[in-house]
Amino acid sequence: MSDAGGHSRPLAELRAVDAAAFGGKSASLGELITAGIPVPPGFALSTSGFGAFVEEAGLAGRISSAVADLSPADLDRVNAVSSAISEGMRSAPVPESVRAEVALRYAELAGDADPPVAVRSSALGEDSQDATFAGQQETYLWVRGADGVCDAVRDCWVSLYSPQAMTYRARVGAGGAAPAMGVTVQLMVDAEVSGVMFTCNPVSGDPSMVAVNASWGLGLAVVGGEVTPDDYLVSKVTGEVVRQTVTVKEIEYVPGAHGRGAVRAEVPPERRGTPCLDERRLAALVALARRVERHFGCHQDIEWAIGHDGELFVVQSRPVTAVAKPAGPPTQLTAISLVMSRFGAAGDEGGQAAC
Amino acid sequence: MATSTPVGAFPSPYSIETPPGCEGWEEMYPYHAFFAEARRATDENRFWFWNSMHFPVPMPAFDVACIDSPYQAVGAWQNRVFAVPPAMGIDYRVINGYIYISGNPVTDPAKVAERAEFFQRRAGYYYANWDELYAKWRTKVEALIDEVTNLRVPELPEYEPEEVIFDDARNTSFIDVLDAYQRTLRLGDLMWQQHFEFLLLGYGAYATFADYCKSNLPDIPDQHIAQMVAGIDVLLFRPDAELRRLARLAIDSGVDAAFVEGRSPAEIDAELSQSEDGRRWLAELEKVKDPWFNMATGDGLYHYYRSWLDDPSIPYASLIGHIAALHAGEQIDRPTAELERERDRLAEEYRSLLEEPARGGFDELLALSRTVFPYVEEHKFFCDYWFLTRWWNKLREFGALLAKHGYIEDAEDVFQLGRHEVASALDELLLMWATGGEALGPHHWPPIVERRKALLAKLADWTPPPALGVTPEAVTDPMTIMLWGVTTQRVQEWARAGGGDTNELIGAAASPGTAEGPARVVKTVDQIADIREGEILVCTITSPAWAPIFSKIRAAVTDIGGVMSHAAIVCREYGLPAVVGTGRATSQIRTGQTIRVDGSTGVVTILAGGEDDGA
Repeated sequence: MSDAGGHSRPLAELRAVDAAAFGGKSASLGELITAGIPVPPGFALSTSGFGAFVEEAGLAGRISSAVADLSPADLDRVNAVSSAISEGMRSAPVPESVRAEVALRYAELAGDADPPVAVRSSALGEDSQDATFAGQQETYLWVRGADGVCDAVRDCWVSLYSPQAMTYRARVGAGGAAPAMGVTVQLMVDAEVSGVMFTCNPVSGDPSMVAVNASWGLGLAVVGGEVTPDDYLVSKVTGEVVRQTVTVKEIEYVPGAHGRGAVRAEVPPERRGTPCLDERRLAALVALARRVERHFGCHQDIEWAIGHDGELFVVQSRPVTAVAKPAGPPTQLTAISLVMSRFGAAGDEGGQAAC
Repeated sequence: MATSTPVGAFPSPYSIETPPGCEGWEEMYPYHAFFAEARRATDENRFWFWNSMHFPVPMPAFDVACIDSPYQAVGAWQNRVFAVPPAMGIDYRVINGYIYISGNPVTDPAKVAERAEFFQRRAGYYYANWDELYAKWRTKVEALIDEVTNLRVPELPEYEPEEVIFDDARNTSFIDVLDAYQRTLRLGDLMWQQHFEFLLLGYGAYATFADYCKSNLPDIPDQHIAQMVAGIDVLLFRPDAELRRLARLAIDSGVDAAFVEGRSPAEIDAELSQSEDGRRWLAELEKVKDPWFNMATGDGLYHYYRSWLDDPSIPYASLIGHIAALHAGEQIDRPTAELERERDRLAEEYRSLLEEPARGGFDELLALSRTVFPYVEEHKFFCDYWFLTRWWNKLREFGALLAKHGYIEDAEDVFQLGRHEVASALDELLLMWATGGEALGPHHWPPIVERRKALLAKLADWTPPPALGVTPEAVTDPMTIMLWGVTTQRVQEWARAGGGDTNELIGAAASPGTAEGPARVVKTVDQIADIREGEILVCTITSPAWAPIFSKIRAAVTDIGGVMSHAAIVCREYGLPAVVGTGRATSQIRTGQTIRVDGSTGVVTILAGGEDDGA
């Protein structure tokens, strides 16, 4: 069943080492599945799919000459080059080999139904922890049918040549190298609530906390910063909610007409000010966060969704990079010398003792 | 509270007026205890807070011994023995009968450095030899308890016994009485000396562990730190454990019907003594009394707090509660195995969450905190309860002697006189006994006693502000922070609350969870018996001796205390929400009001019957 061809593999078969070919997102989802974390089933396209596309459309030469001496400062030219390349890519067909594989994998996902899926770019170098490449974070939700998926895949590829992505590469000196991208396709979670959580408090750096942001509907609203989400700080050790801020959530993303695409909608007034998560769901999220953290061995930034049926899924996980480090006292001291300095140095803000 | 002060500041101690009818309250206190003009320049510019933790009600004249002596002791250890670098001792002042305190900081860096050398050497020795020194401490304190219990207060005989003549070895009774009184006072001083020998270092070790946790785990709830350290099988829980055993025994032997809510201990005893089984149960109770009924009915710094032996209403209320709970099929035993597992799990989890290099300090500080903690918890039983309840009783014997000779009407009246006044009354009594002349004391003292009783009753209606003087930029005195839970943040909250919304009080989140229910404001010990099932206890500070009533209440709120206070510890044990250190709960909340306690955020809200009466 996994011999559909050379451009794709089921997510469940991927491991960290596959990041080079499939991009960080797909590889990390494969890792999560291995660890028994609930992840919506799906498949991944490798960079070879993109390579085949550029090759067959005969775009390779045109692209490299267009970007060769592109200056990131010259915005007009960047925009012109971007729209020229994008137009070329959009009018080119997805290669038959890729199309056939996508159709097969898509059918495997759902039998004969036409299930909604999420199509996301899976950037290379994402696991290098600093590579949230501008423009390489495309997400297409509630996509249906093999043709629809292929269109969305091509849209992801096109995003490699958005003005932001090109400027970014030019700026970091990757302008010359031919960029590449994997794509992740997963069954859609019909999310009632979704959000992001960190396996530590990113503000204070406390590793014993899980910081959860949550809002109604699909995760777009939280990730895109279109709502101020509910904010929970939960102890990993006891599951107690240490702090919570429930906000007014004005909008949410819901499936569009006929279950195609995601549309922005107003949250009905009676749900706006209510907390998205109760203690039970927070407990489930914290348990999940701990499993993900344990699997990767470092703090994780996890996107999650809870379906209308109550089922919880992780849709993405990546290492946390910018964490405040708690300013612990010198660690080589003995207990007695620490106590001594507590008494001797009590002149600086002792109120923190709070005992 | 007086509202003439600007929001965010505290009233000047020199602006506090004497409540009408309380003029002359100063006569009950020593000359050095006042906000005097001679010290105004200094005292007006210090931060003073009401020590409602130890002195929630106006101070009777004799009980001032329990201010002078402990502050001599705590200052001696902190300032002169251990030379804690940044802090000397704690000053107190009395205003309208209430006790305000303020630490004396060491601000000169050279002096701090000089003291640090003493402190290193001396405190280091105590930490390094803690278990051995603590064992010696137990012996010393038990000897004091023994001595105060057995100290004989002589009668004044018509004729001295023959031994004075023939044995040539006996003093006459006037010497014996003087000796006995002086020794009684000295035993009190000695106990206070022992009381503070380890206290500072014990709390210091704990506070260091707390700091360490907070700097590595900035969001860790205070109660988790406390839970990792607190003892499971400590002595203070034994009395209630014995009561639970007796409750079960009462049911098993079929005498439980005697324990009816509202009945007095004497009524229950009377019914029990009518049957063979009841008498057997009473015999079993007798065995438990020594030593476990040496608990006090409150934190023992007033003569009002009797031991359970003297006033069994608390243990009997507890027996009634336990028996009812057993009938309702509830599990009343402390789940010690579970508590221990949870304590170890917390420690292991937090430890594993720390980065490798921080684990060493965590392990060491946790171990040190656990080493010192038995003292922190147990000294109360030995000093504050067992010793002090015996000591007050010994002083009652002197009161009985004075009453017998008409110097006061009742033995209990002795507490209306200062300890030096009692010495003076005894002097005259002994003089008149010796000379056979006409005593003036019976004319002199009774009106003084009556006047002071009336003063105390009136002063009890006055509500002291939580703090006086200047708002400090930061609270730095380690004892103020560690013992009283008075932190910079707490002081700022008090200052803000001075002119703010009186339907909401903020304190320390001491035990998680929320509860709503009718408030029961308890300011004095004799109000404890009024507490009914399902009420929320609102008090100045609770005592471990109150533990039994925690099975009745839904939540607890206190005026003072940090998350290590006993209310906090006991509430966590019983799984009850608690907010401590609100500064003014007992003055803002009235019995019967519906309140909500959020022990996770530290907020107490008056929900109903809570109209702000514009105080």
